[in-house]
Amino acid sequence: MVDFGILLQIVFWGVYAGCIYILLATGLNLIFGVMKVVNFAHGEFLMIGAYITATIFFITGINPYAIILLSMLALIAIGAVVERLCFRPILGTGKLNEIFLSIGLIYIIQNSAAVIWGDEWQSIKSPYEGVSIPIGSLNVPLDYIIIMVVTAGILVGLWLFLKRTKIGREMRATSQNRKGAMLVGINVERMDIISFGIGCALAAAAGTLWVVSGQVFNPYMGSIPAIKAFAIIILGGLGSIPGAIVGGLLYGIAENGAAYYFGGIWKDAVSFILLIIVLVIRPTGLFGESGE
Amino acid sequence: MDLYLKRDALVRYGTPALIGIAVIAPFLSGNLYLLNILTLMLIFIIFSSAWNLLAYSGQGSLGHAAFFGIGAYASTLIAAKSGISPYVTIFLGAAVAAFIGILIGLTCVRLKEWFLAMVTFGFAIIVQTITVSLLTPISGGWDGIASPRLLSPDIAGYQLIEYYSILVITIACILFIYAIMKSRIGLAFCAIRENEIEARAAGIDPVRFRLVSFAISAYLAGIAGALEIHHIGYVTPEIFGVDLSFWPVTYVIFGGLGTLAGPIVGTIALTIIWDGLKMLGLTFGRYIIIGVLLILVIVFLPKGLVDLPNEIQRRWNARREKRMKADTATLKE
Amino acid sequence: MKYSVLFIAIALIATAFIAGCTQQAPAQEIKVGVIASLTGPASNVGKNMWQSAQVAADEINAKGGVSLKDGSKVPLKLIVGDDESTQQGGQKAATQLITGDKVDILVGGYSSAVTSAYEQTVAEYKIPFIVTGASSPIITHRTDIDTSYVYHHCPTTDSYGQYTTTFIDQVVRPAVNKKLGAAADRPFRLALIYQDTAFGKGVQSAVNNTITKNKLNIQLVSQQSFKMGESDFRTPLTAIKAAKPDAVYIAAFPNEGAPLITQARRDIGLDTIFLSVENNDNAQFYKDLGQYGEGSIIESRFSPYTAPVGTLADAQAKFKNSYNAKYGVFPDMMGASTYEGIYIAAQAIGNAGTTDKAAVRQALVDLNMPQVIEAMNGGTISFSKDFRESQFDLWMEQLAFNQTIGECRPNIVWPDNLKVVDFVLPSWYKPGSA
Repeated sequence: MVDFGILLQIVFWGVYAGCIYILLATGLNLIFGVMKVVNFAHGEFLMIGAYITATIFFITGINPYAIILLSMLALIAIGAVVERLCFRPILGTGKLNEIFLSIGLIYIIQNSAAVIWGDEWQSIKSPYEGVSIPIGSLNVPLDYIIIMVVTAGILVGLWLFLKRTKIGREMRATSQNRKGAMLVGINVERMDIISFGIGCALAAAAGTLWVVSGQVFNPYMGSIPAIKAFAIIILGGLGSIPGAIVGGLLYGIAENGAAYYFGGIWKDAVSFILLIIVLVIRPTGLFGESGE
Repeated sequence: MDLYLKRDALVRYGTPALIGIAVIAPFLSGNLYLLNILTLMLIFIIFSSAWNLLAYSGQGSLGHAAFFGIGAYASTLIAAKSGISPYVTIFLGAAVAAFIGILIGLTCVRLKEWFLAMVTFGFAIIVQTITVSLLTPISGGWDGIASPRLLSPDIAGYQLIEYYSILVITIACILFIYAIMKSRIGLAFCAIRENEIEARAAGIDPVRFRLVSFAISAYLAGIAGALEIHHIGYVTPEIFGVDLSFWPVTYVIFGGLGTLAGPIVGTIALTIIWDGLKMLGLTFGRYIIIGVLLILVIVFLPKGLVDLPNEIQRRWNARREKRMKADTATLKE
Repeated sequence: MKYSVLFIAIALIATAFIAGCTQQAPAQEIKVGVIASLTGPASNVGKNMWQSAQVAADEINAKGGVSLKDGSKVPLKLIVGDDESTQQGGQKAATQLITGDKVDILVGGYSSAVTSAYEQTVAEYKIPFIVTGASSPIITHRTDIDTSYVYHHCPTTDSYGQYTTTFIDQVVRPAVNKKLGAAADRPFRLALIYQDTAFGKGVQSAVNNTITKNKLNIQLVSQQSFKMGESDFRTPLTAIKAAKPDAVYIAAFPNEGAPLITQARRDIGLDTIFLSVENNDNAQFYKDLGQYGEGSIIESRFSPYTAPVGTLADAQAKFKNSYNAKYGVFPDMMGASTYEGIYIAAQAIGNAGTTDKAAVRQALVDLNMPQVIEAMNGGTISFSKDFRESQFDLWMEQLAFNQTIGECRPNIVWPDNLKVVDFVLPSWYKPGSA
């Protein structure tokens, strides 16, 4: 029998790992909701975000948590450019075209990063590296608590943006009914750019939290988290933000449980087995609308 | 349908020319390097054609390395244990891939687009995990296992014979795909892809045909995988890797999705570009250029490189029309 | 008449020209093919190997090259083959080098999966191949092809596991017993965490084999694995902590090893001794580890920050400095063995006095050259008769935190003939218990 303390720890690490996934998955979902495209290269934006944060940190040496906003702003701009040049021309062409396009983007972004920043693993040190707070049987580093708080803050901010602002309401309208939105005079192409930019900014936030928590990064780091984030939104249901959050937590916990019981090699496989089981039972995911 | 199997002049003259080049190519250089590139290129033509056939029925897979690898492992194990020539076992190994393909297909038939892409992607990871964990006693785990060669290196000029035999198998696979595309099965694939509800109204059972498409595609991918591994002589679980799932997609999209010639043209063109850039000494730049080309093709040539002559014609006609309109406009004035 | 004179003149010049060419033709240069991963996931290792090879070739050529039997001194010409970190790429690179560039000898090769894909081409064309990057013993142990032209010059996972386990038995176990005041026959509780690949599993089986074969008093209390490229180790570490180990042996790459130790010490509170495999011994690892590396052990053969005292220290410093002068960074261990690989190739060709492949192979069989920059068993490089592996003298380093630079620095603590300081258990060390 597994001791309860260990189980609790595994769940806690799962929640922490889930934060990065949730940010990525929410961004993907926001883009999907408005544009109905899936950006498979989303992890590359996480990677760019990580490098931008690290570069600014190396140059200025200011508190890396403060750089998160700069990094997000930079990624809004990069995301807007990518949307305009790559995704807009293929909107509404073929159903899988965005995946094929993303493969091209992955090649370009990963290797450009390798040219610009080099292909070595790098890391930065958080100013709070040595600070830990004991919670029950756990000794939780302050960084992780900040990460969870920042993630929650970003999600609340996004929620307020979508509910309270005019642009947010227009975005939701576009996501519910694109043609209807056009009819009432919403500039849907503007909505596309904004949602893509915000999606990329969330990825940049995830990337910043990744490097600040002391995890190593290199130009190829984004692929695996992106695939997992994609699996999460499929699991939760495309376009459903609660689905992404529940899916993200479920994934983090399932993975860590699998690593504990079957060995680390099963970590990815088990999360995909979970995905397949869910899809066999509910082909549109846990929270997906059956219409899609 | 016609659109996908157009037999215009280019096809009529291009096909024999291509086969002719394939036959004499090894003699253009006494270099084994070129022969090796050509052999791998043929294998990837089969692989991307297999992927393309699945896409022809409207199903996009991001985990075709699973079938490529299963074919390779199964054929290797059968050949190593029984001593039968790999020329026979590649077809048996591919049958194992097809069988697994049907099993995977069963879980996928109700899924569409992104869902299917993700599940197939996941299957490649699951198959790799099983290969290095549960199947270690027979698969050799991460160390991999040696694979019998197609031909013994003792035979003089065996690389040439190997190349020509793979060329024959490639042509046979292409003809097989052509026959399927032209047959009622191919028609059904098209119908399902274009509009599933109408297809069902016409009495086509989408589930059955999706499974058929999965089985055939997995079978051909299995042949390609087995050929590659018998050519290389050693198989490791890296064969299930993401890069091997992405390459056929890249080749097909580049050449032209859903066409018979697309995978062939795409594989040839990208192989030339890839290895040419490598000779120029480019490292990361190779990937960047391939990525840019891929995006340019998707955006400006949605039907792929095979559509380039038509596209040029279309643009030219459009420009002439515009000029004529302008001319008539000035005349009216 | 005029024309015939002109014709004869041209013919004469042409003959002289051709003759001149053919006379110069024999061995103007020795072509050495270097197979490295310049692209793909292993590109940083590959770059290191390729650049180190160039440093070695420059040094050899600066001294005039390699002396052959006919008295001529011939320079080395390096040709790189990029294996793209894939099997297909490896095969293309090897066939190009062997049949296109017609190299006389091959050096390099990283990742056993990639190397195994072109080994048979090497065997077929009987090209001497000095493997300097693949750590799996399978490279020269496989029997399906003739590997008699393949020579392995880098320690294998077998050696890592054997040296580290022996060190634990001889040094760490008595130290822990002393701290506990326990009986000398108390079984040592070792936990193992390994990358689930040929590399990690190779270390795992080497540890298990060493314990059984030498009947060591070591008990493996937990064996955990993780996927290559993993960044979150908290769950397997939680399992390891629950098994109450005396020490943890980590078979990981540096990008995994550093976060692993950090998470173990900081997040899990696993205050024990961590032992890492040699490929972790690079500058980035020390930087990533920071204060959390204190007390850790690395098994090594080439370190950015330390070297065994004596002539080797000078040789290593010279290599590091000339590499740094050329590329602005410091070389890693795969670079060091590739650097030596070029020297071995030059020595073998020099001993054979010709580039004839069979003669060079025989020279490799008989090779007995003094060590170059890394410590070899008996101070000489020679290949074992059974599996053609060179025998390295590996050592153990213990890390000590240096407040002023904010990073740890290593000191050699074992074996006795190389050690600088003694192994100590850190004050915060908590031994395991049953």
